[in-house]
Amino acid sequence: MLPLALLAGPALAQKAGRPLPADTLRRRRLDEVVVTATRTEKSLTDVAIPVSVVGAKQIKSMGSLRLGDVLREQTGLSLVSDHGQGIQLQGLNSEYTLILVDGEPLIGRTAGTLDLTRVAVGNIQRVEVVKGPASALWGSDALAGVVNIITQKPQPGLSGGLRARYGSNRTADLSATLNAGGERAGLTLFGNRYSSAGYTLQPESGAATVPPFASYTGQSRFTYSLSERTKFSLSGRYFIENQASTAPTTNEAGLTANVTLKSRQTDFNLNPSLTHRFGGDKFFGSARLYYSRYHTQEDYTYAADGRYFDATYFTQTFLRPEVQLDYTPRPNQTLTLGGGYQRQAVAATRYDERQLMQNGYGYAQYDWTPFSRLNLVAGVRYDGPSQYAGQLSPKLAARYQLRPWLALRGSVGRGYRAPDFRQLYLNFSNPTVGYSVFGTGQVQAKVAQLAQQGQLATDPTTGQAIIYQSALDQAGSLTTESSVATNVGFLLEPKLNNPDLGYRLTVNAFRNDLSNLIETTTVALKKNGQSVFSYRNVTRAYTQGLELENSLQLPYGFTVGAGYQYLIAKDKSVVESLEAGQVFRRDPATLQTERVRTADYGGLFNRSRHTWNAKVFYENQPRGLTASVRAIYRGRYGFADTNANTILDADNEYVSGYLLLNVAASKTLGPWLSLQAGVDNLTGYTDPAYISTLAGRLWYASLAIELGKKPVARTL
Amino acid sequence: MKNLFRPALLLAAGSLALASCKKDVENTPVTPAAQAQTVNSLSAAGTTSSTGQPIAAKHYTFFSLADNKQIAYTDSNTTKWDVAFRGTTILINGGASGPGQGGAQVYTGLFADLITAPTTGYNVDAAATKAIPTGSGNGWYSYSSTTNVVTPIAGRVLAIRTALGKYAKLEIQSYYQNAPAAPTAANPSGYYTFRYVYQPNGTSLK
Repeated sequence: MLPLALLAGPALAQKAGRPLPADTLRRRRLDEVVVTATRTEKSLTDVAIPVSVVGAKQIKSMGSLRLGDVLREQTGLSLVSDHGQGIQLQGLNSEYTLILVDGEPLIGRTAGTLDLTRVAVGNIQRVEVVKGPASALWGSDALAGVVNIITQKPQPGLSGGLRARYGSNRTADLSATLNAGGERAGLTLFGNRYSSAGYTLQPESGAATVPPFASYTGQSRFTYSLSERTKFSLSGRYFIENQASTAPTTNEAGLTANVTLKSRQTDFNLNPSLTHRFGGDKFFGSARLYYSRYHTQEDYTYAADGRYFDATYFTQTFLRPEVQLDYTPRPNQTLTLGGGYQRQAVAATRYDERQLMQNGYGYAQYDWTPFSRLNLVAGVRYDGPSQYAGQLSPKLAARYQLRPWLALRGSVGRGYRAPDFRQLYLNFSNPTVGYSVFGTGQVQAKVAQLAQQGQLATDPTTGQAIIYQSALDQAGSLTTESSVATNVGFLLEPKLNNPDLGYRLTVNAFRNDLSNLIETTTVALKKNGQSVFSYRNVTRAYTQGLELENSLQLPYGFTVGAGYQYLIAKDKSVVESLEAGQVFRRDPATLQTERVRTADYGGLFNRSRHTWNAKVFYENQPRGLTASVRAIYRGRYGFADTNANTILDADNEYVSGYLLLNVAASKTLGPWLSLQAGVDNLTGYTDPAYISTLAGRLWYASLAIELGKKPVARTL
Repeated sequence: MKNLFRPALLLAAGSLALASCKKDVENTPVTPAAQAQTVNSLSAAGTTSSTGQPIAAKHYTFFSLADNKQIAYTDSNTTKWDVAFRGTTILINGGASGPGQGGAQVYTGLFADLITAPTTGYNVDAAATKAIPTGSGNGWYSYSSTTNVVTPIAGRVLAIRTALGKYAKLEIQSYYQNAPAAPTAANPSGYYTFRYVYQPNGTSLK
């Protein structure tokens, strides 16, 4: 229905005597369709909000194996490491980005991070990245944006493939795909084994940076057309990873011994859905059910004799039925209504009992093209979660075609992130250091219990337990983190007469104002001198910046891309204190103290002011040759405070900026065989003290067999 | 008796100030004899139990700002000491902590900027709350739960009224033995390195 709207636009314009945009057809041809921005199919250049897409072809040509490899090379995204690999988007940590597979969320975050190495990319059709809050459609966690992984759909005919890759650190990857598509039914199968011997950046620590692991992914989709208008789909995914490592560990008695950790993660999901088109194509309805289960098991034993040291587990389940109706009364209007109910449960060593969270929600979106140059999208979503106050998230976006080659776009919206299970229910006491962390749902009772058991430090004179009452009260009233964000930019695409040439420039300026950010707080002091921690909403911060993305298509199969992001991210209360002259720093060597100037504040830790990338892709189809050279730069970013004021303000508090140079080339040998070889991080850059994700230079070579190529591919 | 004595002292200080104004003309100012001192790694450390648990020191470490020396804990019930340390807790000789006139307030600013001691606004140690607030970020230090390191907050100066009602300013510079530039949780803690200016005569802390 949307292509209809698009065709109708120029037709109307023609009637009114205005010139028809000459590039429309060519653009249409080059254009990709995205689904994450509006939850309806829409052309990438026609969406009113910033979206970027990485296609299968590019993923293949980059030689990527896991989702993190793909995302780290994209403009505006930085790979960050905190209990797993996550991405930073518009300067916001990885817990603020929702990660979806075919529109359904992946679950199982550790300390807010959903480890991107869990996702294999061998069967991905494209990855869509929506920048800016999308809570108006997607609810909680879509505060910085959304990453949606779109997997391959069954294609007509029978085809299959095998791909084997081997490289540095004994990293081996083996994938198999199968596609079968008939008149009514279709099936895809994907299997992947990924293993590595890991690597050790700091041998003196006695522990591997990444211990050896092996993981398996199985994924399948079955589609069946009940009729021309009614389609059924069932998809499922299973992931398992085993990892083992040995590291020196200190036990409760203060003795250090080598302890072996064996861990296993499993991730399972199942997603049946039904779509139906009716009412003369004016209505499109979909009903879907999503179930997911994430489980980890960690067993610690003494390396010497295999005795039990510790064991933990974590199980999360997620169930969600959802319906959506798209109504298109006229080609230039689409009304989308949706609603659902989700139920999540967690049981874990660090939780007292199985905890449950429920959420009923509804959303509405009106996509309107009042005249051909203007597109308006207004949306709102209401979430009624069981554990905290209801959330209303509106969003308004507009796109205006100022010239045939220039479109302006802007959007304003609210994003939010609900407190997670950990923040609500954690019950953890560190056996070696001795501190405790309690979720806010039970911290009051736990502190009272500790006081009663005489485990809290007492004031020597009164004998009263030391409790920080105001912090404890704040913890008791934990609420959601939220943001109001604005994105303004333009899309420039000059019409060039040479069909071999193409240029597109996308510019977006963003500002996110965040409030009620959750941080840990000390609520009481224990007898052993350690603290009792919980969580509270305090921090107010902002991130703002500018993102530029150039894409240039040249003759002879060359494509050049260049992207840049400028980013400022600051804690507002720190800025206020600085302006009041109330922030100081102490030189750690001379112990002399001085006042910090506002200009010295480097903002939030772990944010680079400058990041850029430059890529050249080459493709020679007749010869079956592809090659790419990609440079990814991450500017310096703050690591930790060294001068006694908790903020980033001195040069030695930064990690140096670095450049990654990745190259890859592939050659097709005959109709079904192709070879690929590449080197990631060609210069072998590492920073063992501060960057655990850079293993040094990594070479690889792979072999792919493709059988029974799809008819679609043949026509190209 | 002490209270009767104090106005006389203030008067004396006042006349000194006047005198210094006069002598300014002659370019030979008489500055009150404020004493600047530095103390390195004064131990207020506890011990570690056989099971690795930290045990707080049995007694506070008592210190006289007037005499720039440590005082035996057996003299805790006298006015010989001005401040006392144990772990991260600091006592001031007054109120619930001792027989002196001591009080304290936390001044935010540079050590050099506190040139005149405030004469009002001092908190006195009570049974539950101390003149210098305890807890991370509340008083003189911050504690990182990720590194388990205690850091004296830059720009926190303790304005102190001593046991005998004199004024002093004190800045804690390190909590670790021998003040390492980059302390870790493995460094011996509970060792105070600080500097202070003690004014036996008046409020000038230059």
